[in-house]
Amino acid sequence: MQRITELMTSQTTLYDLNSALSRITKTQAQLSSGKRITQPSDDPYGASLAVQLNSQLDGLDSYNRNVNDGTAWTQATDSSLMSMNDIAQRVRTLTVGAANGTNNASNLAAAAGEVDQLTDALKQAANATYNGQYIFSGTSNKQPYANGTAGDAYQGNSGPGSQITRQIGPGATNTVTINTDISGLLGQGLTGPGDNGLLTVFETISNDMKTGNTTNLSTDLKNLDANMSTLQGLEANVGATESRLSLASSRIGDLQLSTTQILSNDEDVDMAQASIDFSTQQAAYTAALQASAKIVQSSLLNFLQ
Amino acid sequence: MTISSFMGLQTALRGLQASQEAIDTTGHNIANANTPGYSRQRVDMTESPSLTIPANSNVDGAGVQLGTGVDITTITRVRDTFLDVQYRAQNSNENEAQTQSTILDQIQTGLAEPSGNGLSKAMSDFWKAWSDFSNAPTQQAGAQAVINAGQTLAQTFNTVDAQLATVQSQVGQQFSQLISSSGQVQSDASQIASLNKSIAAAQAAGQNPNDLLDQRDKLLDDLSSLATTTSSVDSQGMLTVNFGGAPTPLVQGTTVSMPTATDLTPTSGGQIGALLGLYDAAAGGTGTIQTSYRDVLDKIAKQVNDDVNTAYQAGDPTVPDFFEWNPVSTPAATIQVNPAVTALNVRAGSNPADPLGQDVADAIANLKGQGPDQAYAGFVAQVGSDVQSAQNAQQTAQSLLGAIGNQRQSVAGVSLDEEMTNLISYQRAYQASSRMMTTIDGMLDTLINHTGTVGL
Repeated sequence: MQRITELMTSQTTLYDLNSALSRITKTQAQLSSGKRITQPSDDPYGASLAVQLNSQLDGLDSYNRNVNDGTAWTQATDSSLMSMNDIAQRVRTLTVGAANGTNNASNLAAAAGEVDQLTDALKQAANATYNGQYIFSGTSNKQPYANGTAGDAYQGNSGPGSQITRQIGPGATNTVTINTDISGLLGQGLTGPGDNGLLTVFETISNDMKTGNTTNLSTDLKNLDANMSTLQGLEANVGATESRLSLASSRIGDLQLSTTQILSNDEDVDMAQASIDFSTQQAAYTAALQASAKIVQSSLLNFLQ
Repeated sequence: MTISSFMGLQTALRGLQASQEAIDTTGHNIANANTPGYSRQRVDMTESPSLTIPANSNVDGAGVQLGTGVDITTITRVRDTFLDVQYRAQNSNENEAQTQSTILDQIQTGLAEPSGNGLSKAMSDFWKAWSDFSNAPTQQAGAQAVINAGQTLAQTFNTVDAQLATVQSQVGQQFSQLISSSGQVQSDASQIASLNKSIAAAQAAGQNPNDLLDQRDKLLDDLSSLATTTSSVDSQGMLTVNFGGAPTPLVQGTTVSMPTATDLTPTSGGQIGALLGLYDAAAGGTGTIQTSYRDVLDKIAKQVNDDVNTAYQAGDPTVPDFFEWNPVSTPAATIQVNPAVTALNVRAGSNPADPLGQDVADAIANLKGQGPDQAYAGFVAQVGSDVQSAQNAQQTAQSLLGAIGNQRQSVAGVSLDEEMTNLISYQRAYQASSRMMTTIDGMLDTLINHTGTVGL
């Protein structure tokens, strides 16, 4: 039989009470912080995962902001294109009216005056901005069309390198192009090198009205229709971009939810488990305290006279 | 031959003396029940040499051996030196693990992960700022946010590195303090040397200096917490102590030879071994803090620095770097946003003709989750598992130490129940010897005062 001394009993008691208390303290810290991992050593792999997941969540947050910004941009684009469409429609109505040959010179001059106004309106629509940025200037951020009579040359850039994109996921290719190139649609007007863009057509219509050249007007009408169908094509593209962004937004939302859940599983404490642990540990600690209070108290001395 | 009338008195006296000595020893044990390092003492008694009574002096002619009572041979301390050796070895292990775990815990605390205030958050915010900047490259606010996030990231690197450096230098100070002339090694060793002298003198005089031996053993226990110790006792009873694998014994006879810093190594064990394991290689350590933590942090800082600069320059070396660090020092300690890059000139696109260009900002934002982020997550896992294994080692060592300590206590410790029982038996023996004396006294009284008084 092992010989037991008082010091052994009290030291063992102290050690056991200490470890019981330290277990309780740990569980209590978990319960009050709600976190299973408060420092890397609690679970090195879990902590590293938490670091990565938190960074992923921040990334998703960024992508979400990008999508929202891209959506606002495409909406601005959409409304500009719609007003261009309205303008073209009005010009078309005027042209059809002017082409039927029953108008006198002053009627035609009035119609021509309105077409000139609409030409300016078209340029204004093309000069729309979002958040201080010209939405139709490529990446140059220059006002795409000069006001008034300064000529109709496109001031922005186009082609490769002029795309404005929004990152909707990790990786260099996970992007959506949000800007629309309208330089081809509008063309450079009659002062330009010669094209059949909207500006050229508008200006030609205005000139033909002024000169009463109704025969030309029907050719102009065909050119106008061709441009309007291009415009509608652009609108369809913008709509497609918007729906792609909206899909991306809901996908990011799903990812945020699932990542948050994984993170919570990883670093959050299982409250039910921790509560049960806590009461078990507390019961054990109380029992240990009671037992040691009795054992350590008594010795042979209590019974000697 | 006749027996002296007073012989019984002598026998009773010896009994009284032996009981008294035993009671005094019991008192000594009780008084030291809680003294650290005390081993209980036991009075060894034996019968005193008997008196031979020759054959012819007896009625039937046969000789007898008459008992003359008790003798105290020695007072010995009850102690198992084998357990002492085990205890000291385990004590070194426990203290090594404890020291290691405490220091690594400080490093871990310095990282402040995964609290959302550490480097991972700063990096994440930095990538986020670039992503926002890419959405609106012409906005001054976005440019300013990028610069601010860069400065925060750089400062967080500086802070974490400074914290590691502080821990590192504290480890060095602790080590030099321990082996300095006012340190614990010197003080314990000198006390052992002076105890050696007293013990040798006492033993030469044939005494058993139990309490001095206990004190010396206690000092040896203390030394074993600092580094591994081995010891041997020479013919004079002097203790030779080898300490931490140093070539010269720390104590030999009455001489103390302090180990130099290079005598001790990370394998010295105990607190010193742990400190040296973490301390700089240049000072004879393994340099774990430097190689496993600071160097890794430097690597991550350099990676951030290089990756961001490459993306920021986008192949044009005339563009100023975004981050810079002082090559005289280390990347983590000195990384900062290049003062030449300000909110007014920080660029989101590589082509100055395109104010809405965003290729640079996108390239930097896309660094997120790449090299530096991954390296840092790995670093956090590394630190965490180092601390965890140190803590586990410490717990194992602690419970082993507790078990051996208990065994040692079981042999050497004072049991009050036992002492009380002994006290009762010695007290009764003392009472009985006194009664013996009274009885003999009564016999002598009869013999002297009441014999030959017939007719008086």
